[in-house]
Amino acid sequence: MNKKVTLFMILFMISIGVSAQVRTISGKVIDQKSGATLPGATVLRKSTKEVVSTDAEGKYTISAEIGELLSFSYTGYVTAELKVDARKNTINAYLEENVNQLSEIVVTGALGIKRQARELGTSAQVVNSENLNQGKTVNPLFGLTSKVAGLRINMNDATTGKTDPLIQIRLRGSRSFNDEKNNPIYVVDGVPVPDIGRLNPNDIENITVLKGANAAALYGSEGVNGALMISTKKGSRGKGTVSFSNTTSFSEVYLLPPAQNKFGQGQNGVYSATEYESWGPAFDGTTRDLGLKLPDGIQPQALFGAPAKDNRLDMFNTGTTLQNDLSFSGGDETSTYFFSVQNVTIRGVIPGDKSARTGARFNGSKKFGKLNTSYNVNYVFANRNTTPDGPWFNLYIQPANLDVAGLRNWRNPNSAAHPLNYYTDATGAKNPFFLMDNNRNMSDQQTINGKIELDYAFTPWFSAIYRMGLFSTVEESRVTTNKLSSTSGNRNVNGSVTDGNNIFRRINSDLILNFKKDFGKFTTRLLLGQNIRMDDTKNTAVGSANLLFPDLFNPGSRTGELNGSAALTKYRALGTYGEFTAGYHNYLFLTLTGRNDVVSVLSKENRSYFYPGLSTSFVFSEAIKGLKGSNILSFGKIFASYNRTGNVTLNPYGLNNAYSQINGFPFGGLVGFTPSLLNPNRNIKPEFVKSYEAGLQLGLFNDRLNFEAAYVYSDSDGQIFQAPVSSSTGYNNMMVNAGRLTNKIIELSINGDVIRKDDFKWNIGFNFTHINNQVKTIFGGQEEFRMFRQAYARVGEAYPLLKVSDYKRDDQGRVIVDAKGNTTTIADSAPLGTMVPPYQMGLSTMVNFKGFSIGAQFDARLGGWLYSEVVPRMYTAGTHPATIAYDRQPFIFPNSVINTGTDKNPVYVENTTIYSKGDKAFWDAQGKVQRNTAAKSDFFKLRELNISYALPKSLLDGQKIIRQASIGFVGTNLFILRHKDNTYGDPESLYNQTDGYLSFRQIPPSRMFGFNINVTF
Amino acid sequence: MKTSIKIFILATGLFGLSSCEKFLDVNDNPNAPINENLLLSAKLPAALISTVNQETGQMNQLAALWAGYWGTTSEATNQFFKEKTYNGVAIRGTRDGIQIWEGSYNTLLYYQLIKEQAQKEGALFYSGIAKIMQAWHFLHLVDLYNNVPFEEALLGTQFLTPKYENGKTVYEKSLQLITEGVNDIKSASSLDAPGKADVIFEGNRQLWAKFGNTLKLRALLRQSETGNDAYISAEIARINQEGSGFLGLGENAYAKPGYLNSKDKMNPFWEVNYRNAGGQTTNHISLRPTAYIIDQYTTLKDPRLATLYTSVNGTYKGVLFGNPNVDAQYSAANTSAFKGPVENGGKASGLFKSFDQPSVLLASFESLFIQAEAALRGWIPGVPKTFYEQGIAESFKYMEVAASNFAAYNQQSSVSLDAAPDKLKRIIEQKWLALNSISSLEAWSDYRRLGFPEIPNSLLAPSVTARPLRLMYPESERQTNAQQTGLQGNDEVTESKIWWDK
Repeated sequence: MNKKVTLFMILFMISIGVSAQVRTISGKVIDQKSGATLPGATVLRKSTKEVVSTDAEGKYTISAEIGELLSFSYTGYVTAELKVDARKNTINAYLEENVNQLSEIVVTGALGIKRQARELGTSAQVVNSENLNQGKTVNPLFGLTSKVAGLRINMNDATTGKTDPLIQIRLRGSRSFNDEKNNPIYVVDGVPVPDIGRLNPNDIENITVLKGANAAALYGSEGVNGALMISTKKGSRGKGTVSFSNTTSFSEVYLLPPAQNKFGQGQNGVYSATEYESWGPAFDGTTRDLGLKLPDGIQPQALFGAPAKDNRLDMFNTGTTLQNDLSFSGGDETSTYFFSVQNVTIRGVIPGDKSARTGARFNGSKKFGKLNTSYNVNYVFANRNTTPDGPWFNLYIQPANLDVAGLRNWRNPNSAAHPLNYYTDATGAKNPFFLMDNNRNMSDQQTINGKIELDYAFTPWFSAIYRMGLFSTVEESRVTTNKLSSTSGNRNVNGSVTDGNNIFRRINSDLILNFKKDFGKFTTRLLLGQNIRMDDTKNTAVGSANLLFPDLFNPGSRTGELNGSAALTKYRALGTYGEFTAGYHNYLFLTLTGRNDVVSVLSKENRSYFYPGLSTSFVFSEAIKGLKGSNILSFGKIFASYNRTGNVTLNPYGLNNAYSQINGFPFGGLVGFTPSLLNPNRNIKPEFVKSYEAGLQLGLFNDRLNFEAAYVYSDSDGQIFQAPVSSSTGYNNMMVNAGRLTNKIIELSINGDVIRKDDFKWNIGFNFTHINNQVKTIFGGQEEFRMFRQAYARVGEAYPLLKVSDYKRDDQGRVIVDAKGNTTTIADSAPLGTMVPPYQMGLSTMVNFKGFSIGAQFDARLGGWLYSEVVPRMYTAGTHPATIAYDRQPFIFPNSVINTGTDKNPVYVENTTIYSKGDKAFWDAQGKVQRNTAAKSDFFKLRELNISYALPKSLLDGQKIIRQASIGFVGTNLFILRHKDNTYGDPESLYNQTDGYLSFRQIPPSRMFGFNINVTF
Repeated sequence: MKTSIKIFILATGLFGLSSCEKFLDVNDNPNAPINENLLLSAKLPAALISTVNQETGQMNQLAALWAGYWGTTSEATNQFFKEKTYNGVAIRGTRDGIQIWEGSYNTLLYYQLIKEQAQKEGALFYSGIAKIMQAWHFLHLVDLYNNVPFEEALLGTQFLTPKYENGKTVYEKSLQLITEGVNDIKSASSLDAPGKADVIFEGNRQLWAKFGNTLKLRALLRQSETGNDAYISAEIARINQEGSGFLGLGENAYAKPGYLNSKDKMNPFWEVNYRNAGGQTTNHISLRPTAYIIDQYTTLKDPRLATLYTSVNGTYKGVLFGNPNVDAQYSAANTSAFKGPVENGGKASGLFKSFDQPSVLLASFESLFIQAEAALRGWIPGVPKTFYEQGIAESFKYMEVAASNFAAYNQQSSVSLDAAPDKLKRIIEQKWLALNSISSLEAWSDYRRLGFPEIPNSLLAPSVTARPLRLMYPESERQTNAQQTGLQGNDEVTESKIWWDK
């Protein structure tokens, strides 16, 4: 508000006019980032070419007229031009470092300490705000998808989060059989936090991706999977800025598994009014009875005709996402501030699903002499109200002529859509709209994330940093099913409610001593630090499975027992670490790191462990005389590193076997405890990952073309995981230190400006990752074990491996049919291939022409396999197109053989005589042959498209309120090419952390498009 | 300013060093007790209920389908498909299979841990119960899988791939376990009697001894066709020497933990097959008696027919097991359902009485029919007819048939044991009618052993003659103990026989 008054005042003063008059202007030239003054900077009065320099304190004095331009420049910094205005005789210029040159890039290294990229012996890639927000994603992690070599991001479907999906993120593949322990560490402004999904992407200045253990070793146990270093925005010194942006987008479902629309409801080709499966006769356009008579005595009827369109789409809405952002920022010589608020409102593609997020952030810094202080607070309130899985899947198994739109009217007791009238009480199909209205998952979550950082420079060569961070979430959840009473047991729905309260709190404290000293051509730096980590959780739930009344969701109104549970955990860790870097001539660097961790989850004998690392880099373009100043090679560096990183993935209290009461215990006063069937192991030790990395980085043609390549080998041994053991040992699993997994990874990135002119730029970027992942050993000589359903870990193969059942075939691969024409399934599932695509590619292009910019991000992943558990059920229900391939008539199974010999000595000859029945039993069996619903998961998609137009300066020149304005179009998943065999769904969908698994619980994928307005005041 | 910061930093550093030990010692589980915290009386009920749940749940369900008791309505043609097709590979699967092997060994572990603790504490009553119940599970495992691990089983990390032993050996070792168990119980001090923690017999030594002997007799009869006569008579002699006899009239191994009308706290047979706490039903709407069992009861003018099933338009109608066709005459509406209080004016009925009805581990009528057969074979003293008639009378009682109906029923030449041309066959027929849906596994084992009664094959059987003979070793076992499962040879459901099945 004050801002507006000020702006108005300025306008007013301009409007009354001022005459030209020479004044004496003085001020300072200051480094934007650090706030340090810059002595020897040049100040140029443009009209007269008069030049002055700043003194030892960065001060200058010059004469100029009102309205004239002053130009401030300093080596290594971007030149700034400022207008002399009538009000002020003091003009301070804040110069930004010029980091466009590869040789001068600064990255956020481990512990949040900024360092020159040139000295890193490992790969790091920076994604800036503009690039991250190209697709205007709500969750910042989605904005990284396919933009970084070695980084894989998938949407991980959660039962509870249909409008707010979880994310699975993998940097350089998987290192652990314990799937949930492969996540990288997230570090926000130097503080490790468990999740950044709630962060406002617009608050992010940039994300530095430190790949693999080598870069992130100082974070120890969690850094083994790499780190995402998130820097949030800071206020800019000098100018106060107000920014507003709005993005409104729409989403539509796509890639539903196809359905047949030729045969309708019934069995064995005979129509049945009460049967939901599509095994009836062919649609004939007649009107037939549908379901049983309604309570009012009317027999409902429906047209038994093939619909013109896919009726299933009537179940889905157009989803909307509304994002509003407002931010204020500014600062002066000693302090900066950044304040933002954001509101996101999402209405899902499933009717009734909605979620919202409101967040505010305040980042500030203040300098007191040698003490730099900074403090961030971020508060986010996120709520959601969604339906659990069920509705869409129920639709996939119902007939094509179903009047889906009419099913919305289920509340009318005299409607065929009412759950008490739907088909008969003996069938399993439900009205999807009833399901979504009757079953709700709700949650209100508050996140507070903040930090305080003190940085004190004792002497020019020694400073100390103390940083304390808090991350806390409180989630109140409620899961309800509304009661529906019926005299028929199968129609009856029990009312239930579960109220949960989940609290997580992390306090993280780091004390870092930073020593820096130069000895002639040698530079040295030593970091010594100590880290304290305290994680506390408390999860409680209370509820009832038998509520007495509809619409009253309180366990107080129940019959039977109250359900309740509570679990508390504490995790404590103490880390001590050091890093020593030595540089020679600023072109050769060597870094040694070491960290010792003591963690509370292991036994006293095993809980302390040390791990070292070594890395080196060599900027040969500066070391070799002949290359120096070359026009072709502007920057060249090679780097290599080795790390052996310790990791403890054990959860608290994992050393003892905990007993619990199951099977209904306690029965009143009778207690009954049973042990866990996971055999604990008191002797668990940390697991270690060895990794080697070597790479090359080139800047060509004045950094117009940049190239980076890295080769990584990692070897995880003695992993902590739950190995399956023979149940005859009594236990089903055992906690072990066993199993070895290796990864060989090639990463390439190329980025170039095809056109580089002032008002016309065209940049193309490409990244490529190949991961060769192999399971070396498992446990106790086992060859394989099942990770999840069809996903296996198998010695000698990539992990996870898709294994599916297949037909019994002859040696030429032809399917064997028996005398009845039925196929047989082999007893043991056959391996098909890896479920994680080993080849990943990202292609980006950005064109800037005058005010227009077009950015696009393409994503391709190749070489993986997927399996659908959705489609087999469509075979069973007769809705899948495969079931009508032979018009439901007997047919000769293509390329099949029959056995004309004996069982012992089979002779297979081509089948020309035996017909397969082609009825429900036959097609149901085909659906259960898992090979039939597995496919290659290859895809190529246009992940993001952003077209925007910035209003030209000339248009804004007339006024002083709006500094910048732009409008744009944004879209995601606008275009996709899939492998021809994959008609099942989105190949990048995940289920239960398992890549390449399409579950009926997953919401169908959607594509999004929308509009965006940005205004800066 | 400067000094205060220095002090602050220093203090923080010191905190980390001085209180390090205490800071890290937070790994004691605040949420659950561990082994050392728990008395035997807090563990035994859970182990016993685990046995009972497996018996009346997954085992009874599978065997009720394979022993000719159950089929499904035409709407539920898809349900129990792997059981109807004898699909051994599907049944052994970890995800969609029936995890009898895993569940059995897990429950065996519960008893193993109780046994170890009881032996340490000298609590002989507990170790005795644990031994008898371990024998119960090992005998079942052999009945389903033939060769199974015994000596090397249940030792946690000591044997990660336990060696399999011959089914016959495991049978012998199990009987030995029962002998030891009964001895333990009889010599236990009355101070460590489990009382209410023994949810089967409330610490009654006599009944445990009878239960042990009945279990032994059941196992011995199972090998009636093996020609193992010397072993059988030696074991019978040992039972006689022990002297407690067998479970008789009114002596039932029932579990009564105090079921509540609440989710997961009801009698599980009731909750799964009849109504859950909210009145929902799943299996009840799909499961139906087979036409075959309806015929048997009808032919015998059996009064149990009316207490077990509902009638449709005055007649009782069953379904065909494994019928692949969707045929309106076998729809839910047109066939007899299982009768319960809802269909019986709120009164207890043949199988479904109330949410807190006791779970049946081994009922008196089964014991009486076992004794009838043993007496008929001359293994034990007593008149077969007496045991036989007591068995029927006890079954009537269980199935809520008035005792007054017994005389007329028993007089029929189709029922009377005296009038039977083949007395063994008649005993097994009546035993089958009495075990209906209660101890179905025993009925299926009798069918495998003797071929009585003449249960029709599944209409989805892979061939007309193929019958289920066993279960395949589970997928989990094939992955974790591959070498041992590989040594066992063919384990196809319809091809490989249990050792006692001749």
